[in-house]
Amino acid sequence: MRPTIRATVVAVIPAAVIALTAGVGSQSFVLACLGGGILLGELLELRPQGRVVIPLSYAVVLVLLRVASVQEFVVTVAAAELAAAILRDGTGAAARAGCLLRRLVAIGAALGVYSAIIAVGSADANAVMLIALTGAGAAALAADEIMAEIGRWRFDLSSQGRSAQLALITSGLLMAVGYDGLGGRGGMGLWGPALFSVPLLAAWYSFARLAAIRRTYVQTLRALSIVPELGGLVRAGHAERVAAMSAAMGRELGLETRELEYLQAAALLHHLGHVCFDDPEVLGRPVEPTEVAEASAEMLRRAEFLAPAADLLSPDPLPFGGATRSMTSTAGQVLRVSSAFDELSEGGQDRLATGAVEALYSGPGYVYDPRVLAALERVLERARRVNDRVNAAT
Amino acid sequence: MGASTGRNSPQVTALCVVTGVAVVAVASALAISSTQPAWAVVIVFALLVILAENLGVPLVAGSNISAGFMLLIAAALVFREQSSPLGALLVGMCGGIYYMDIRERDWRRFVFNVANFGFATLAAYGAFLLFPQAALDDVGLLVLASVGAAVAFFLVNDSLVATVVSLAHRRPAREVIRELLSSSLQSYPFALLGVFLGRLYLDLGLVVVPLFVTPILIARQTFASYLALKRSHDDTVRILIGALETKDPYTAGHAERVATFAQYIGLELGFSAKRLERLRFAALMHDVGKLVVPNHLLNKPGRLTKEEFARVQQHEQVSVEILSRIDFLAPVAPSALSEHTRFRPVADTKGQPIEPHIVAVADAFDAMTSTRSYRKALSQATAFLELRENAGKQFHPRVVIALITAIERRDEHYGEGYEPAGHNYATEPPVAGLGSAGLGDLLADEEPDPADAAKP
Repeated sequence: MRPTIRATVVAVIPAAVIALTAGVGSQSFVLACLGGGILLGELLELRPQGRVVIPLSYAVVLVLLRVASVQEFVVTVAAAELAAAILRDGTGAAARAGCLLRRLVAIGAALGVYSAIIAVGSADANAVMLIALTGAGAAALAADEIMAEIGRWRFDLSSQGRSAQLALITSGLLMAVGYDGLGGRGGMGLWGPALFSVPLLAAWYSFARLAAIRRTYVQTLRALSIVPELGGLVRAGHAERVAAMSAAMGRELGLETRELEYLQAAALLHHLGHVCFDDPEVLGRPVEPTEVAEASAEMLRRAEFLAPAADLLSPDPLPFGGATRSMTSTAGQVLRVSSAFDELSEGGQDRLATGAVEALYSGPGYVYDPRVLAALERVLERARRVNDRVNAAT
Repeated sequence: MGASTGRNSPQVTALCVVTGVAVVAVASALAISSTQPAWAVVIVFALLVILAENLGVPLVAGSNISAGFMLLIAAALVFREQSSPLGALLVGMCGGIYYMDIRERDWRRFVFNVANFGFATLAAYGAFLLFPQAALDDVGLLVLASVGAAVAFFLVNDSLVATVVSLAHRRPAREVIRELLSSSLQSYPFALLGVFLGRLYLDLGLVVVPLFVTPILIARQTFASYLALKRSHDDTVRILIGALETKDPYTAGHAERVATFAQYIGLELGFSAKRLERLRFAALMHDVGKLVVPNHLLNKPGRLTKEEFARVQQHEQVSVEILSRIDFLAPVAPSALSEHTRFRPVADTKGQPIEPHIVAVADAFDAMTSTRSYRKALSQATAFLELRENAGKQFHPRVVIALITAIERRDEHYGEGYEPAGHNYATEPPVAGLGSAGLGDLLADEEPDPADAAKP
């Protein structure tokens, strides 16, 4: 919270000074307020899952487009973004500079698209203005995403996780329209953007809570996953490795996001049931793996949300080749294969990997789905290539 | 705002019928005498209001009323411009349509809500009449008008709801009104948003409605996902408690009770909601390490050998290891460590969280007042005495006082004679002396141990 408080002070001072010197009604006061809005918006970010973080400042930029001339726009944005880069905390100078550059390019794109559409359009001023603002918002978000993902070369054009962007553009439009209305009617001045930022702030609050609880939830699953390891019942790091391998294989096989989430939970907790059994010496017999899977599934089933994950654990009555080959059974196979692989390769050791895969293909006790085994081989092959490249580089 | 007509009393039924008849009468009178509203506008606002009221995801602290209220104020302003009270009344009536009432065939409630919202919106319309039409273009006057509209709306709404609630639940009307007033005050910002939305709608037309409603719906949707994920997090923690209870049936309900006592103490010490939440999870999970202790040791009726004792004690380290991997619990992870929670009067430790001490006291109190494999439950008085005697030695004195005050204030009783339904014991536990939370006195007598010597 500290940086936001500092930013508020920094944002309020110039606005107050200008209000005293030039008056509340002056253009420079409006610019100072909007600049302060951009500065604060930089520090409040929407964090949709699996998407680039979006600062709320882009919504204020849309208002500024309506208010300022090009020169005023450039000066205000530059000052606000520079202040934000200084006040942002926790990152190094290079990261700050990179972020500043990304914002400036994104806002520049917005200005370019807005001016181009306004210059071309003439017929119906209101419609042109709305289209220009929408285009400007979309351009800023697209430029931002491209700049953020350019190093990784993974562009996800699907609509999933786009609701934050939709909220940002609609709110930005409303704030801009609230400032000076359409066709000269309905302008409310600074009251407009101030009031109509409330829905956006509500969205920001909700996204922030969602991101926080998601982090905690994954941490809790991970913390629970190490319980059997701390008890010395399973090889250290087994759950974590199986979860990583299952996720890679699941993506390879094209499982959906939700399916992958259940797979992760099931992989992390698939040995938790082990804690229900007493020492083998006291029990008088070893604990069977199927018993552990049953017990883990039983535990997960008690949590309504994790019931689908529990289904991945229960032993398949029809191994591969049965009538149904639903997604669920694929995910269950993935989990079983990656867990067996981790055990056969004694924790994913490279020198044992090939033998482990062969053992899985010819497995005496169980027939695994060859598609799933092929996915395992592809994932291993890719990891090997990355390793070789790293070794060659060093 | 929606009233629950709890008990089946004839007065409540009469009130619902009277308001229902009144609203129909007023609507008919207005339909004959006043200007007809623009029906397209009525339909748009009616649909929006019904949508907003029925997508009821409770937003912050149960104020799920705000989106609908905001739209009703906007509608009142729009129909004021058209000089059509009938439009305001009709849209307001739609604000009382809840899908739940219809599904449960609660017609009394349905009629009352429809009438209540209709009259309240009409009152807001009336408040706008106090301002000359031209004045509503001025932003400052618009703010003033929003106050007037909100006051008029809540005057009608609160008095009707207070009447029906105090009749149905036989509660003093003044108390009900006080509760309603505080929630009305919290809703005022939405009246402000409402007048500006109405203003913008009048100037710009339908285009503003999707711009306004989209981010609100996205915020609600996201908040709903947040609530769902929060529930599944709770579920995950509950899995672990279930596993603990399967291993050690004597501790059934222990984690939940320790969490409750910890909450009592936290409330007594004036914790914030966020801190209470963290305390609750720390208390729920304080014994998580016991998952790695073999069952036969947890349930051993007699005393433990030195090796066995060491193996049982290992669970505290495991608990700390697990809790410290969860960021928001990490600062209070020492809650699981009996060593750390021992109160040290001199080195009391400014800046260190008090949570571990709270969990220690809650844990000790529940351990004393419930039956374990090694002894039967003690009485509440004995437990209080033991806590008081060790306050300042083993336990944090402020925490002890907070727990005793909280339990006495609630007039609750635990321990001997107040235990929940009995267990099926493999071996009847012995009636033993004091032995607060720890397992320290379980160590076999013949082998004195430093842990034993350290016990007060």
